[in-house]
Formats: sequence, structure tokens, C-alpha cells
Amino acid sequence: MSKMIQREMHFAQPREQVWQAITESATLAEWMFPNDFEPRVGHHFTFQVPANPKVNFDGLTVHCEVLECDAPSQLVFSWSAGELVDTKVSFRLEPDGQGTKLLFEHAGFNITQAFGEQAFKGAEYGWARMLKQLGGVVGTRHTEITSQE
Amino acid sequence: MVAALKHKPDVFTAISHPARRQMLDLLSVEDRAVNTIASHFKMSRPAVSQHLRILLDSGLVTEQRHGRERRYHLVPDRLGPVREWISHYERFWDDRLQRLQKVLSTRSKA
Repeated sequence: MSKMIQREMHFAQPREQVWQAITESATLAEWMFPNDFEPRVGHHFTFQVPANPKVNFDGLTVHCEVLECDAPSQLVFSWSAGELVDTKVSFRLEPDGQGTKLLFEHAGFNITQAFGEQAFKGAEYGWARMLKQLGGVVGTRHTEITSQE
Repeated sequence: MVAALKHKPDVFTAISHPARRQMLDLLSVEDRAVNTIASHFKMSRPAVSQHLRILLDSGLVTEQRHGRERRYHLVPDRLGPVREWISHYERFWDDRLQRLQKVLSTRSKA
């Protein structure tokens, strides 16, 4: 029972520009989180999801490793945080007219790992609570961004 | 043997065992009697029944009497919490990818 999330998106910008936005640490931080990403296979890095006392969220560190990095077409990194162990996030960029088609995938949601006996240890700070809070953080930020327009 | 459960068998506990997931897969095709289910496993009948008991307690499966035999029936709606788990991440990525789009369009205008 392994599940994945897939998204397809079109960007007006050429591949090189999209590639830069997903592989340059500073730009990556603008739409993801503060990170120490480097575009090279084998590099270990983290995303620091900041705490948000408003929704009682303590913050979270996502541990990643660059698995594939072929400019300007393919970026794959592992993603381990909370109950997600060694899931895989991938960005595939294809030319699409003047712009770019992004094929996004977050794969390897393993229900066995996430909900096995292990997941119930420390139930006080369980996955469900963590995710609800993370959802709250995302929701709050999203509103902030929208209201800036 | 089925390990003793320390928690009441909720949906997540119920699907945490590979044999029980396989049982759910079997029941997703059609309702089945315990004999038919057991024929897919090497484990003993009591062990199969024990797994089915956990599925029943979680509400993922119901049983109905058909004459002398009992048939098991999958209740897919009970898998809602599992879908919800994934949908948290779906919302997360939808939000992030929208931000990416915004970052890019701001930059190309500049």
C-alpha cells in the first residue's frame, strides 16, 4: 500500500528559469523553506519548517538527500520528516512551447511505516496532530501571500 | 500469530499488517467467505479469523450471514482517514507549487 502525489503544471518561463528556482537555495527558500540545498547528487540537506505559536506548531526539520540532479530537466531528492521515511520528491521539467511543463511527484507514502506500531509511540505528538498543525501553517501563509496582492 | 494489540484497533492499526491489507484487497473485488479468504494464506484458520476480527472491530469490514456461512464485506468509506493523511500533503504541495509559480512570475517581470 504505497501511495503517491502527482501534479502537472505549466510555467510561462523557460526551463532554465524554473530549474534555477528549484535548485538555487535562496530561491528555493522563497517558495519552500529555509534550506542548505546544493545541486549535487549525494548532498544531504534540510528544510527548516519554522514554528508557528499561533497554531501551536513547534516547527519541523525535513531531512533530504539529492538523488538525481540533471540540469535543466530532472531533480530528485529524498524526503524524511515525521512519519514519512525515505519518501521521494521529484521535479521533471519538459519544454512546453516557450514555457515549461513541470511533472511533480512525491512518492513512497508507505502506510505500513506511517501507521505501524511505531507510529503510535509518543502518541501525544502524533502524526495527525503534526499534520493538522502543518496544514494550519500552510493555510495561514497562503492567506498572507494572497492578501499581499 | 497476531501480536497483541495495545490500542483499540482503529483503521490505521487495522491496515498496519500486510495480511490484513491483502484481505482488504481480496474483499475489494467481492464479498468472500472465511474459507475463501483463508485459502489465500498459509497461516492457520484461527489466525485468519483473528485478523478478520481486527478488521471487523475497526469497521473496515462487516460480516453477513448467508445460510450457513458468513461473508465478509469491505466498507471502503472507512478508509477516509488514510485518504485524509495523503490529502494533507496534497494541500501542502499545491500551496508550495503555487508559490513557485508566483516567485517565477515576479522574477520574469522584474
